[in-house]
Amino acid sequence: MRPLPVGDPGDPDVRSATRYLLWLAARTWPSLLAAMGFATLWLVSQALIPATVGRAIDAGLSARDRDGLLRWGAVLFGLGLVTGVSGVLRHRMAAFNYLSAIYRTVQLTVQQANRIGATLPKRLSTGEVVSIGTSDINHIGGALDITARGTGSLVAVVTVAVILLTTSVPLGLVVVVGVPVMMLIAGALIKPLQRRQQVYRDQEGKLTTRAGDLVAGLRVLRGVGGEATFAGRYRAESQDLRSAGVRVARIESLLAASEILLPGMFLVLVTWLGARFALRGEITAGELVALYGYAAFLVSPLRQLTEAIDRLTRGHVAARRVVRMFTLVPEFTSPAAPVTAPRGPLVDAESGLTVQPGRLTAIAAREPGDAAAIADRLGRFADGRVTLSGVPLADLDLADLRRRILLADNDARLFAGPLRAELDPAGKGDRPVADALDAASAVDVVDALPDGLDALVAERGREFSGGQQQRLRLARALVADPETLVLVEPTSAVDAHTEARIAARLGAARAGRTTVVCTTSPLVLDQADEVNFVADGRVVAAGTHRDLLRRRPDYAAAVTREEDQ
Amino acid sequence: MSRQLPIADAQEVRRYARALVRRHPGQLALALGLHGLAAVAGLVAPRLLGNLVEGLSTGTTTRTVDEVAMAIAAFVVTQAVLTRFAAFCSARLGERVLAELREEFVDRILAIPLSTVERAGTGDLLTRTSRDVSALSHSVRFAVPEILIATLTAVFVVAAILLTSPLLALPCLVAVPMLWFGTRWYLRRAPAGYLRENAAYSDITDGISETVEGSRTTEALRLQDRRRVRTDSDIARSYAAEKYTLMLRTVWFPIVEVGYVVPVVATLLLGGWFYLEGWVTLGEVTAATLYVQALVDPIDRLLSWLDELQVGGASLARLLGVAGRPAPTPTPTQTPAGRGQRLVAEDVRYAYVEGREVLHGIDLTVEPGERLAMVGPSGAGKSTLGRLLAGIHAPTGGSVTVGGVPLASLPLDELRSHVALVTQEHHVFIGTVRDNLVMARPGATDEEVRSALAAVDALDWVTALPSDLDTVVGTGGHPVPPAQAQQLALARLVLADPHTLVLDEATSLIDPRAARHLERSLAAVLQGRTVIAIAHRLFSAHDADRVAVVEDGRITELGSHAELVAAGGSYAALWRSWHGEEGHSAQKRRQSPYSTVA
Repeated sequence: MRPLPVGDPGDPDVRSATRYLLWLAARTWPSLLAAMGFATLWLVSQALIPATVGRAIDAGLSARDRDGLLRWGAVLFGLGLVTGVSGVLRHRMAAFNYLSAIYRTVQLTVQQANRIGATLPKRLSTGEVVSIGTSDINHIGGALDITARGTGSLVAVVTVAVILLTTSVPLGLVVVVGVPVMMLIAGALIKPLQRRQQVYRDQEGKLTTRAGDLVAGLRVLRGVGGEATFAGRYRAESQDLRSAGVRVARIESLLAASEILLPGMFLVLVTWLGARFALRGEITAGELVALYGYAAFLVSPLRQLTEAIDRLTRGHVAARRVVRMFTLVPEFTSPAAPVTAPRGPLVDAESGLTVQPGRLTAIAAREPGDAAAIADRLGRFADGRVTLSGVPLADLDLADLRRRILLADNDARLFAGPLRAELDPAGKGDRPVADALDAASAVDVVDALPDGLDALVAERGREFSGGQQQRLRLARALVADPETLVLVEPTSAVDAHTEARIAARLGAARAGRTTVVCTTSPLVLDQADEVNFVADGRVVAAGTHRDLLRRRPDYAAAVTREEDQ
Repeated sequence: MSRQLPIADAQEVRRYARALVRRHPGQLALALGLHGLAAVAGLVAPRLLGNLVEGLSTGTTTRTVDEVAMAIAAFVVTQAVLTRFAAFCSARLGERVLAELREEFVDRILAIPLSTVERAGTGDLLTRTSRDVSALSHSVRFAVPEILIATLTAVFVVAAILLTSPLLALPCLVAVPMLWFGTRWYLRRAPAGYLRENAAYSDITDGISETVEGSRTTEALRLQDRRRVRTDSDIARSYAAEKYTLMLRTVWFPIVEVGYVVPVVATLLLGGWFYLEGWVTLGEVTAATLYVQALVDPIDRLLSWLDELQVGGASLARLLGVAGRPAPTPTPTQTPAGRGQRLVAEDVRYAYVEGREVLHGIDLTVEPGERLAMVGPSGAGKSTLGRLLAGIHAPTGGSVTVGGVPLASLPLDELRSHVALVTQEHHVFIGTVRDNLVMARPGATDEEVRSALAAVDALDWVTALPSDLDTVVGTGGHPVPPAQAQQLALARLVLADPHTLVLDEATSLIDPRAARHLERSLAAVLQGRTVIAIAHRLFSAHDADRVAVVEDGRITELGSHAELVAAGGSYAALWRSWHGEEGHSAQKRRQSPYSTVA
């Protein structure tokens, strides 16, 4: 089997869900065709087994022919071998088709998420995208997987129908018409079953959420009590789920019974008719046994055909969601003819803020949301009238802009993986990392880890406390060392001692670079070259922290967190 | 960082499974009996068909054919009806057992000592609650009944072959060694392989959600290549795991398939020879051949569900393991008499890991009604000391007592009425607002709930909710912003009414504006209680009666704010940098949380 993942997932056809599925199929056409071939061989060899048993009885047993019996016994064994080998080869090919479809879709999803970046959370809810990961890719893979068995089943059904019709036209017709009718009747039970199963799954999901809720709040619960209340609530929902399970079982048991009754009665009909035909000498005893075998065999390929239709439908629905994500376009793009801007003042016309290059500028806003909005504009994560050395940010190449201006806020995320790579994705080396950790006062965070910088960070960095995460994020931004760094409330979750240390070291760590800090911490403001006080979205005063403390009582009130009233 | 919870051993799992089987003997016997009868009814048809075939070769009448066909039809109907009730009874029993299993598990979780939860973290427990419960559920609902039915059916088919002709049962035996050794080889490797496969697959889905949720960060820090590399390596790992299980199946499937066809061929050939020798009749050979073919389906189902059963067993072991750490039953030797007791720490030492002490002999006495602030750098041991003072961990050396009684020896209910720990962690439970509050004092009236809400200044927004106290909040319910969630937590405390509170950075994650509002709520809660505050912002330390500076696992400075500032130590240095040289508004601050009683 070829190695996966492929280096380049390719350029998908996203004009429609069907086209995307066909595009995926075309990517793995040799193994897809091979899987279809093996599936056909697998099912046809199974289909021939009843006839072979019948011939062995007729030509061997009834005729008391030792050689005939041996010959047909050998054929039967050979068919068994062919079934076993072609079955496993089909399975391997189909598994490869399934895996290469899901892996390719995952690669394309990540590629697309990377391409549209910050626009993605605005256009699709996390739930929608997560369902691409948890269920949609499975359905797409399932659609490609089923092509093999679907094709094989179709061929097998046709083969058996031809054999039956050549044995006896009336009996053949009974089978060919009867089996699909039987499937339809059984299918009538499937819909209500699926409905109840859905109810069951929803309730099961709710119950799991409830249990997860108890675990997540366990510390609170153990701290203040309430175990009995919540255990009682869980028990009540658990019993509801049990009742839903019993309701599912009621239909499921009917289905189980119908799976015995329908084919059973059908077999009785075929056997009865066959026996009468045999009595009249129209067919042999062996042919009767074979007939019985065929009618029993047909149930399986027909069930697989039904499954194929179901899985192709699901795959199509899933592909529609995936295609929708693949066709999203980023909100901010590079202009057709980007201009370059030299290093210079960064000006936000809306608030009247001017950031001088090479200095540590603070934004202290009475409403913290105002500072964050300015930061978003400066980093071009929101539209605004911002210029760098007089050039509008929208006229700059976006990749270049992202390299020069880095916005680091508290929504920034720590990704899972080795800590070193998380802090230093560009591989700048140990020295800059050590310096940044020192400046962010995060050395102790790393020292506490058993493997230091080689430790693995869990998803969302959840084993770190809020303050530790914040310091690691700050260190990461400092390692990136952009021309302009915009920090939003970088010390809101750390204790005063640590905040004092960070404030004292930030200036040195960013010496010669441009830094903007949105904060209301006096410790940090005191270190800034210039503080801009923002009220109602506008810069209303600028100066040093001490200068503003003296001049502006409203500034003093905002940054020392006293009550105004 | 966190230690995993234990896992039950195989013996314990078996003992539990046996007890489970014996718990509902009547229902189990009914289900098994019905399945057995259904299986028997299902075996008659091939036998009659064999007779029919034999009749055709020896000569028979249309009437006989009609009668046999009617008989077969009757048995088919009987089998269908029996199957309906058998399937229903066993599913009903399964649902019942499953409900008992998960409810017992949740009871176990709720009984874990707090110190264990603190140490192991909630991640492992969450995995067990979601993944293991659903794996076990899958086993109980599908694997166990399928295996039971398949085994029963197989036993009856074998019995039917023996009844037809004991001689014709011999050819079947040729397949036993193949199936036995092949399946044993497979089952020894399969569960670990599938677990690895599932884990690798969840890494992929986790990676996707991380990529999507962090796409803004990816864009800002230009991490696109790293996301791509991570995805590709996740895929490569998943593919390796998939290839391993595929290899297992590539070996096992053909063995099993050949194992199914060999008995059919053997029965036919040996049966043919026996028939030619005159030892058996043609009808017997035909029936036996059909029975052997009928054996394939139950054996196949049995074998293919075995690995699911193994996975379910492993999950059960993890669920039972949660109880493997029995709650230390505190010996209620004595209880401190009433409120207003002094909290005393004497030579307190603590080590999370043996040999690595984080607190080195702390002596501290907190008087009733006192406000003590603890400050110090991160990692100095403030939070650990706070937990010891709240009785969550027992000290590894020295003692923490309230009214002379060691905190660690108090029963949980009793402990809660003395001291509570308030952290920045606030959790809104799924349920009504009322549920979220009365949990602290079961039986509290609506009036008490409302006055607790009013005390923390939260009554207004609660009253404005769509259904007032009956509004459902928590995951999936009405959204509650962090600051309001914190208020609910504080209202809970008002209801719980402990005389001593340990606050560990209780408001630090709230945005500064909301924090101001919260601190007012907090002030109401603190009224009339002893408070130990692990201070995050210095201005709360300023108003405390005493300040303890914790550095490197020791209390290095202890005294009032004024004393410490005058002493010129590390606290004084910090105070000066916070306020600038002028010490600007020190005299003007009046509204910080401690001021109401200071």
